[in-house]
Amino acid sequence: MKRKFASLFAGFVMLAAMVFALSAGITPAKAETTYQIGTDVTFPPFEFANKHDKYVGIDIELLKAIAKDQGFKVNIKPTSFNGAVQAVQSGQLDGMIAGMSITKEREATFDFSKPYFTSGVVMAVTPNSKTTSLKDLRGKKVAVKTGTSGADYAKSIQKKYGFHIVTFDESNDMYQDVITGNSAACFEDSPVMRYAVRQGTKLKIVTKPVENGPYGFAVKKGHNQKLLRMFNKGLADMKANGEYARITRKYLGAKGSSDTSSDRTFWGLIKQNRSALLGGFEETVWLTIVAIFFATVFGVIVGLLGVVPNKFFNGLSTTLIYIFRGLPLLVLALFIYTGIPSLTNQKIPAFVAGTITLMFNEGAYIAAFVKGGINAVNIGQMEAARSLGLPFGKAMRRVILPQGIRIMIPSFINQFIITLKDTSILSIIGILELTQTGKIIIARNLEGFKVWTIIAVIYLVVITLLTWLSNWVQRRVRL
Amino acid sequence: MTAKVKVTNLVKTFGNNEVLKGINLEVQNNEVVVVIGPSGSGKSTLLRTLNKLEAPTSGDIIIDGMNIADPKTDINKVRENIGMVFQHFNLFNNLSVSENIMLAPVELKKEDKQAAAEHAKRLLKTVGLESKFDATVQSLSGGQQQRVAIARALAMDPDVMLFDEPTSALDPEMVGDVLAVMKNLAKQGMTMIVVTHEMGFAKEVADRVVFVDDGNIQEQGTPDEMFNHPKNPRLQDFLDKVLNV
Repeated sequence: MKRKFASLFAGFVMLAAMVFALSAGITPAKAETTYQIGTDVTFPPFEFANKHDKYVGIDIELLKAIAKDQGFKVNIKPTSFNGAVQAVQSGQLDGMIAGMSITKEREATFDFSKPYFTSGVVMAVTPNSKTTSLKDLRGKKVAVKTGTSGADYAKSIQKKYGFHIVTFDESNDMYQDVITGNSAACFEDSPVMRYAVRQGTKLKIVTKPVENGPYGFAVKKGHNQKLLRMFNKGLADMKANGEYARITRKYLGAKGSSDTSSDRTFWGLIKQNRSALLGGFEETVWLTIVAIFFATVFGVIVGLLGVVPNKFFNGLSTTLIYIFRGLPLLVLALFIYTGIPSLTNQKIPAFVAGTITLMFNEGAYIAAFVKGGINAVNIGQMEAARSLGLPFGKAMRRVILPQGIRIMIPSFINQFIITLKDTSILSIIGILELTQTGKIIIARNLEGFKVWTIIAVIYLVVITLLTWLSNWVQRRVRL
Repeated sequence: MTAKVKVTNLVKTFGNNEVLKGINLEVQNNEVVVVIGPSGSGKSTLLRTLNKLEAPTSGDIIIDGMNIADPKTDINKVRENIGMVFQHFNLFNNLSVSENIMLAPVELKKEDKQAAAEHAKRLLKTVGLESKFDATVQSLSGGQQQRVAIARALAMDPDVMLFDEPTSALDPEMVGDVLAVMKNLAKQGMTMIVVTHEMGFAKEVADRVVFVDDGNIQEQGTPDEMFNHPKNPRLQDFLDKVLNV
């Protein structure tokens, strides 16, 4: 009997191996010269997705031009500013270009290129606001975006002017907080703020740019020095041949590209972003299916380990459920995506990290109700089966599980729906699913309310379909 | 002649509670032993240790020459030869009547389905339920369920049958049918150990009656000795309570 549990355990180990093998499959060995570069999702005009869902902006075009000049390839990953910082530090990414100011603090953990852009922080308020200078901020709230030089600047003068700081992850959320009046003002790099105003954001700039650290391309300290040298050489070339001037003029010039003219009705927004939304939808569905599969396998195995007559496996099951049900999904996702690589020096693609996250988290819930479902079957059923001479495994399979599964089915359906919704949390590690797609679209057109409405409706439609499918399956297996 | 079942110094404790305090019992082939005693006396626990649904704390239980208290003994093999009938029937709710009976022979003896089905039909006939072959468990009355449970236990052709208060959960009018099946079984020479409160059954069918109280066998003997000439004051007290209602 012991051997059976051992093979069950071996199965679990194999499953883990499969997940990692899958990760290897998704990232085929790339040529040496392709670098993974992180950037922000929302930092126009330095990086943003245009209406064709292509990433553009000063950072993107400059990096691509330099790569071409120096003969290396880049794969640009819009995670988020914070996400990119962590991913570079953990080795998930080789470098980042995200309007990143060169500061003393950052130089402790990053090596920076020569500065490629000099910016300055400005303060923006609503058009008819009475707040027009830093002095007016006393006792009020100021919105900033995590990790930006605007945030650093706000912190440095906070004591002097006596205001409170509210932090956001996305530029649009920061702007909205000022527009709705929650915060009195926001601090942001001047070109970014100017671009947002030109895009129709109902804010005005009321201060002169305050010089802050110039922008630099960053790699992890002591790593990827060759990439850094190539960037510097390429940057010099771009400045010499006029390409640098062309790119910056394109985005900062008086008649830069603007999106305000396009159709801003619901239908118009759907049409413009059709391919992006479809892509996000597909990624969400795909992620849900893969996650449900692995979470079910993991959950059923861990749940069964909880009911076999073996103290060690019971303890293992309880511990796994305790840990993975106890961790917030967001923390688990960041831990797996950025924490594990820094321990093992092994990159994990975001999709695989996301799948593993969901497998553990949703799987823990599944394990808990699998255990509960089995325990809910009257103990007399097991005793009767065993008294006939059926071994534990056979009794389980032929008598207990068929009854337990019927008890578990409503919980399974519930968990599948929760899994679908939980995929949205994985936008934090940059997976381009529906929620992340929404963030990116909003970063470009700043139509938060309408785009989130569209995204919400898409989720509801998928969940309705999933519920129908589940109910159909439930009817088929009923006695 | 060696005993079919031989229990020596059997002790069973649950936590600090010593339920069986050193039981010695022998059951011969073809013998019908009825175990009586007040609630909580340990009689059900005694029965459940005989097929190791409860593992003994100490002592030996030898059935057909195999010591089931020994961890090296393959308990599943021993159980195949011991049928057990429960107070609450415990029919498999996910299976039909015939599937309940056929499960163990098909899974363990690798009987083919056809033969197992024939066997199941014969067994259902002996318990008077041949018409319920395809019925669901839920459609049966308590008495019918218990008779199917007996048929299920017999399907493995056991040479000992354990009955754990088989009529206690039944409506009074169902009790007779179940007892009739058990009497029939006894007549055919089945070795039976029956825990019951049916004193009439004990008087009529038992070869030997065993009185258990406070975790020990207080007295045992033929039905005549036990019911008509009880010596132990506890037994006298017990009989007084159950017979003079």
